Amino acid sequence: MRKEAPLLITFVVALIVMLSQVTTGNVPGLGISMPVLFERYISPWMTVVSAFSLCLASVNLIVIHSRNVSRKQPEWIYSLILLGSLVLYGAWCTYVQINPDNAAAAATYSLLYNNILSPLMTGQWACLAFYVASASYRAFRARNLEATVLLVSAILVMLGATPVGGVIWSKFPVIQRWLIDVPNMTGQRALLIGAAIGSFVACLRTMLGIERSHLGIGGGS
Amino acid sequence: MSIASGNVFGFWLFIAISALVIYTINASQRGKLKVTIRPIAGLEAIEECVGRATEMGRPVHFSPGLGDVVTTAAADTLAALQILSYVTDVAARYDARFLVTIRMPNVYPLASETVRQGYIAANKADAYRENTVRYISSDQDAYAAGVIGLFHQEKVASSILAGLYMGEALLLAESAARLGIMQVAITASVTQIPFFVAACDYTVIGEELYAAGAYLTDDKGRLGGIAAQDYIKLIVIVFILLGTFMTSMGSNVIQELLTM
Repeated sequence: MRKEAPLLITFVVALIVMLSQVTTGNVPGLGISMPVLFERYISPWMTVVSAFSLCLASVNLIVIHSRNVSRKQPEWIYSLILLGSLVLYGAWCTYVQINPDNAAAAATYSLLYNNILSPLMTGQWACLAFYVASASYRAFRARNLEATVLLVSAILVMLGATPVGGVIWSKFPVIQRWLIDVPNMTGQRALLIGAAIGSFVACLRTMLGIERSHLGIGGGS
Repeated sequence: MSIASGNVFGFWLFIAISALVIYTINASQRGKLKVTIRPIAGLEAIEECVGRATEMGRPVHFSPGLGDVVTTAAADTLAALQILSYVTDVAARYDARFLVTIRMPNVYPLASETVRQGYIAANKADAYRENTVRYISSDQDAYAAGVIGLFHQEKVASSILAGLYMGEALLLAESAARLGIMQVAITASVTQIPFFVAACDYTVIGEELYAAGAYLTDDKGRLGGIAAQDYIKLIVIVFILLGTFMTSMGSNVIQELLTM
């Protein structure tokens, strides 16, 4: 039963989700349509399962970082900051939710978010500009034919996309547009079609219970 | 209850294709259909990744991507979990230190159970540690920062990134490349493939993500599914060619059929 129950639940839920997307009218005997059946009976369970998963994941996070702090593991101070932030943001947010009329508490929470978390995130994303440059340098080194084609295409696209390219030669923007619209789009569409089919078959295998490794109950078939 | 207008053809095509998939899987399992997959260098390199980490006495990192199992990214995440099952088996056999980082809470119990069962199946239940699978954060930025921090703290030797990735793909891959971490990226996220190609040692792209489970385990049922994918691709190609031809001739029969 431990093996069959998850597979049965997966099949029934997947069938309801699928039928809710393509059918119209009421289900015979139930008096409600498939989309309503999904919204009323399946969707709340997804929230419940997600809440339980978040609890499990949070326990994992707290246990690992508490252990780091108690054993004074290398760089344990970051674990302490994480636990402190978790308590601070969690408690503050809960207080704001419980007391919606307390504008000062809500403003302070926003202040904490806007002045600590947002700048950290912005700083992290700013690193991307330098990462793009260093990764591009490695990728564009003309070591073989493919890398050379990539290098030439990249130069043409860069020249076409910048105003100076059009000044040097008016055809650069035209070539850039062609490279993006034709060879690039062809490759992307081929990848997308292949991936969509792969995704469909993978979902079908899971729905039918042929694929069960994610449940920790054996391999494929 | 009836099929909604605009979905009739799609629904019956779904039924027909499902029957085809089930038939090929059964045929493959019974040995009536022999399926072979061309060598995929990135997937072959996974064992090298784990071996390298073992030799260096440092951990191997695995990420099942940023996708959830209750969204359209479910297929990517489930495919990544199949790969996780294989990597766990190799890590357990090699006695390599193994770290799995999780972004979505819903994926955490699945990944945790996959890894635990993998260690049990390899008769290495004692080697499984509670901190092998680590939930980092459901926030995309915090997840990337957490994983990069882990690369530094744990002195990770190899990293396998499988599943759905978004803007932080380059943050993860380039940070690892700068630390000399051997990397294999396996993704169907079209927009992130160029970044992985630039920063990783091996990149497995597109539908190869979904074929990875079959390729790594040589499971006949999964291989049957891969054969079905090829047959479906053939059907799609016929529709594309027919649609292009008919539209060029001034007929919109194929469009009307698809939107029936």
